[in-house]
Amino acid sequence: MDIELMSRYVSPVNPAVFPHLTIVLLGIGIFFTAWFFVYEVTSTKYTRDVFKELLVALVAAIFSGMGMLFLMLWVGIYV
Amino acid sequence: MTGLRVALVALVFLCGSSLAAPDVISPSLRVKQADRLVDLASQLVKINTQMVFENTGAEAARYVILVVDEAHTASMAYINAILVEPNKGGVKPMKLVETTVKGQERSGHRFYRVDLKTPLSTGKTVTITLETIHSHLLEPFPKEISQKEKQLIKYTGSHYIFSPYLVVKQKTTVNLSARNVESYTKLKPVSQADQSLNYGPYENIPAFSHDAMVIHCENNTPFLTVRNLQRAIEVSHWGNIAIEETVDLEHTGAILKGSFSRFEFQRESGSGLSSVKSFKTILPASATDAYYRDDIGNISTSNMRVMSDAVELNLRPRFPLFGGWKTHYVIGYNVPSYEYLYNSGDNYILKIRFIDHIFDDMIVDDAVTRIILPEGCTNIKLKAPYAINRLPDTLHFTYLDTKGRPVVVLHKTNLIEHHIQDVEISYTFPRLLMLQEPLLLIIALFLLFVLVIIYVRLDFSINKDEASENRLRIAGLVDKVLSHQLKRMTAYDAYDDQLNKLRQIKDLNSFNSSLKSVTSDLKAETQAIADHQTKLKSDGPELAEKVSELQKLDKALKEVLAQQQALYVEKLVPGKINRTAFLEVDGPLVKKKSDIREKISVVVKSLQH
Repeated sequence: MDIELMSRYVSPVNPAVFPHLTIVLLGIGIFFTAWFFVYEVTSTKYTRDVFKELLVALVAAIFSGMGMLFLMLWVGIYV
Repeated sequence: MTGLRVALVALVFLCGSSLAAPDVISPSLRVKQADRLVDLASQLVKINTQMVFENTGAEAARYVILVVDEAHTASMAYINAILVEPNKGGVKPMKLVETTVKGQERSGHRFYRVDLKTPLSTGKTVTITLETIHSHLLEPFPKEISQKEKQLIKYTGSHYIFSPYLVVKQKTTVNLSARNVESYTKLKPVSQADQSLNYGPYENIPAFSHDAMVIHCENNTPFLTVRNLQRAIEVSHWGNIAIEETVDLEHTGAILKGSFSRFEFQRESGSGLSSVKSFKTILPASATDAYYRDDIGNISTSNMRVMSDAVELNLRPRFPLFGGWKTHYVIGYNVPSYEYLYNSGDNYILKIRFIDHIFDDMIVDDAVTRIILPEGCTNIKLKAPYAINRLPDTLHFTYLDTKGRPVVVLHKTNLIEHHIQDVEISYTFPRLLMLQEPLLLIIALFLLFVLVIIYVRLDFSINKDEASENRLRIAGLVDKVLSHQLKRMTAYDAYDDQLNKLRQIKDLNSFNSSLKSVTSDLKAETQAIADHQTKLKSDGPELAEKVSELQKLDKALKEVLAQQQALYVEKLVPGKINRTAFLEVDGPLVKKKSDIREKISVVVKSLQH
């Protein structure tokens, strides 16, 4: 493949929006993480619901994970 | 297999023999006119020889042979031949092919063949410029100087242009960096003018003539050599290329004799003339976040100037560099990937400089460039502008890596500014692999949460506390009852809303359809509460009583609502009742309803504690 036939590579996410993405995603992620832990420590073995726990954990993991990725990119750790 | 091997050997032999077939120096060719410029104004020796070749024989010449003499081969960093065509308006680079020449196989000279596009016929001329640049050829003389002395250098060359052909007429100009010349060999005619020496014209000098020329003069330009350059280029598909250079710098001029006096260095202008206080590094125009540090941290004595076509970095080492002194530092910066990375689907080409500018007239003795590609790259190929030694690929481990990032390692010795050229690395990278990093983070976090979920279910207590267990179980049941009660009340609210709507719009059909879901909700919640109530009976009879009270109240509420519904559906909607009569019946029902709701909330509150 010749370089003349190629186009300049543009990253999937514009680096200018890394800070905004970080704050929004990590904000949501921290909210769900907090909810998860509050739920874990306040529920007793007669009240807790494993599906609810897993669902909150999954949402928290997805948002926190993406948020952490963009945080790394924002501060200059280009993974 | 053996057949293949024989064929291979034969092929190698054929190739070898064709390479070994020596070229011939045609006796009919001669150099009509030659002008040589030897530039000694920096630490490099730049020799530019313009030669006009003339064919005096009958046969057309297809090539000419250029030669670099023995004394200049080892230090040669760069060679280039240019075809000069003044009537066609320009210069054109020519291809140089290293070759051997008949009768000169044993000599240490290096021969290059330049093929002419149009053969040189009888009586015609062609003008070719040979450009060679040599590093470490200037010898400091004396080898050691004190702080206040000037730096003198000695250049040893030849008065005559080294040529495999007869040179009819030749001139040499030597450019110096200062007027102060200690001595120079005087092969007449020779003259000195300002900062240059002019030798010649010499006439009819036979081929391979050599006559030692020695020039001993002052040169205080920076004699800086990069002994070892480690350049790392880390490509991220998230939009960045990080470049870091680790530089081992040495002053390779005359070595400092005696001690260094900071006082004299600061006070006297003529002190430490050959030392290097600072130098300028030019980075690409898009470079950002530059840093300059060494093993003990940031070196604050640097300035960065962002200009339209480049970023200028003025670097000042921690101490002035005198002859023989060394320094070591790291410089790094980021560039956006769209400047250097090209793609078409999953195929990528990285087009980036093999080395970059460090200082003007630089010498790099040994350079290793490591290009770190994203994890999961395959099919890596290199296209180099000049011969570069590619070492075996290695792996690099950094954040969020699993099997390591492939690293292309390139090595070359004896480089100068002319080697600042682009290399092209092509590779294949499936775009979906970019999701690997976020997925790793998500999975890691999720596993942490699952660990917590498991941990809270573990019970490490030795003896079982029946009373507290019981309490917890009751609390759990009450919690469930309350949550069902909340849902039931929401359903009642919906019921109320529907009744209100019916009173206003009198649309029986929509009321009936929406009521269906409300009543089924109510039924389910009431059943659930009843189930929990039976469970509660054995553990907490008091609470069970409260729940049964709740159920009673609920029944009452339901009855009231049923009455209201009957009133609306049977009397109000068909219009069998007048307004005052309706209000008389409806008013007490509404009041009763709110009374029961109040009682329910009292019971709920008592359950919450």
